[in-house]
Amino acid sequence: MAASMCFQTYLRILPVNFVRQACKCELSTRISYSCVTTARSYSSTIQDKSTSLQSGHLESDLTTENLDFSVDYAKVRNILRPSPLKNEPWEAGNWTQHSKRCGVIAVKLGMMPLWTKQGERLQCTLLQLQDCCVIDYIPPEETQEKYGYLYVGAKNASPLYVGKAYADLFKKACVPVKQKLLRFRITDDAKLQPGTPLYAAHFRPGMYVDVTARSIGHGFQGVMKRWGMKGQPASHGATKTHRKMGATGGGGKPGRVRLGKKMAGQMGNQLRTEVNLQVVRVNTRYNIIYVSGTVPGFHTSFVVVKDARINRVKHPPFPTYVPDREEDLPEELYEDDLFSFDHESITFEEEVDK
Amino acid sequence: MATARQGMFLRYLRNFTQISSCASHIRPSRCLSTTLARDAKTPQSTPGNNLHETAERDYWEIPQREGQPSKFISPEFFPPKHRPGRRSKLRDYLERKDMLRRRKVIDIPEFYVGSILRVTMSDPCAPGKKNTFVGICIKRGGFGLGATITLRNVIEGQGIEICYELYNPLLLEIDVIRLEKRRDAHLLYLRDALPQYSTFDHDMPTVKRGANDPVPVNDTKVRMKPRPWSKRWERLHINGIDFSKVTLRPKDIKAAEEWQADWRTEDFAKKYEQPIDLVEQIRKELDEWEADVKQ
Repeated sequence: MAASMCFQTYLRILPVNFVRQACKCELSTRISYSCVTTARSYSSTIQDKSTSLQSGHLESDLTTENLDFSVDYAKVRNILRPSPLKNEPWEAGNWTQHSKRCGVIAVKLGMMPLWTKQGERLQCTLLQLQDCCVIDYIPPEETQEKYGYLYVGAKNASPLYVGKAYADLFKKACVPVKQKLLRFRITDDAKLQPGTPLYAAHFRPGMYVDVTARSIGHGFQGVMKRWGMKGQPASHGATKTHRKMGATGGGGKPGRVRLGKKMAGQMGNQLRTEVNLQVVRVNTRYNIIYVSGTVPGFHTSFVVVKDARINRVKHPPFPTYVPDREEDLPEELYEDDLFSFDHESITFEEEVDK
Repeated sequence: MATARQGMFLRYLRNFTQISSCASHIRPSRCLSTTLARDAKTPQSTPGNNLHETAERDYWEIPQREGQPSKFISPEFFPPKHRPGRRSKLRDYLERKDMLRRRKVIDIPEFYVGSILRVTMSDPCAPGKKNTFVGICIKRGGFGLGATITLRNVIEGQGIEICYELYNPLLLEIDVIRLEKRRDAHLLYLRDALPQYSTFDHDMPTVKRGANDPVPVNDTKVRMKPRPWSKRWERLHINGIDFSKVTLRPKDIKAAEEWQADWRTEDFAKKYEQPIDLVEQIRKELDEWEADVKQ
């Protein structure tokens, strides 16, 4: 017992890489899982190896055939069970003024110009829904809140580097393990059965959405790059103050620096929300939403798309778009004012003098 | 080489002209250089002439199919090479689909940098609600639906450049008046050339050519205005400038020679930068589109 205690304290002192190597060696047989978890709590970078340890084997212990088999099995493991969708579907609620739908998790693909029927240019962002589906629902009685929680996952993940506890979350919905798992707060009438896939037709052209994502990180930046301040002159006696800001505030009256003063610091890599972006076009085949405007984050990053708080639309597809219930949608859905490339070129009629 | 004595003499001459012509509008320092004019025949002293002709546009170098006639593919179909990584292939595919849909409605013909075009746009503010412009294409830019062309003309002594979006729905017609190529990727140096090289009549007749005629390459070397220019063209690997008529200072010549030792001129793998699969896929899409149009 004492020896294991010593070993734990020893782990805390050692750098993470060394711990990882030690776990790989024959020492790993002697390390209890509690030791590994303590080491894990010190750094998130160790997560990939430690989770595979948690699941009870090392990669090097398996032959390649067995490894392939375990990966294949892990992919279909959840699908082999009877899906909850085979049960009777839940009753779809009716839309009221106070109901709140769930959002979706999408992937940012890039940008593309589109034009309106008046010839105005719109810079649009393409957001694709990749394997987005409902994982779980917790009703408001259990959450002790006004709203219930709807868990939504996106993009199938490799199950090899996923912990057992995380992988078990997807058992109930009988879907493969997802890369991204998030929670939306919804009203009880917008609840969805676990396992229900979400499509791009959840949003329709003309609706407004709020898009949240993690912005591109620039690291610790000075005042000139972060806030666009002017800096100070290069010469004329300036010493060591070329890219610095000037004064930070008054002397006698406040006697301190005011809260929220713009200074140097971490730039980017923060959750940012763009509000009231209009959906101008939807591709139902590839599940792509064309949103007019820019969206934070780099290409291929996850973004969260929700109904806009301010510009709310009456009678959206509620609680979501279900292909069986509705008529077949065309491949491309356009906003009324958007120019479709099949149309003739825009011409203006001459005004007749009265 | 100018000796010290000659330099002194020229400096004196320049000062003299400045004093004497202070009332006139001509700047004497532009007309007269303190260095002697170089001998045009020596190859070292003429930057641009000893370049081998590799400064051509990318779309000339797309690998062609063996045993088949070479077919022109518009450059905006190929994604930019210098931005790999996170670029989505699906997005590019969808963009190409939209481009081909637009190309069914209006005819975007084959043309190059150096061709003379007539472009008609609908314009709500213009009389007749249409606007027409004739000019030489000095630049092709952008990728996909955001592709642009820049036309240049000199009208009543004033140089005018207009940048058009190729896939803008306001665009009504692109008419190729004279189809030809140049030896350069862009003709932005026409801004600093004599105006006669970028002056074109608005009512120019179109030059007729056969369907299978090869596209002629225009080898004209333009005469530049006296320096200073908007850019130091002698450094930028340009074939279309007549440097024998330009007077350069020795330090400019030295810098230009340094700039010519560029690794890009000897990059033999350049034409394979575009992945062959992508080129084949784009060709396939275009063939399908052509068959669809013929029906």
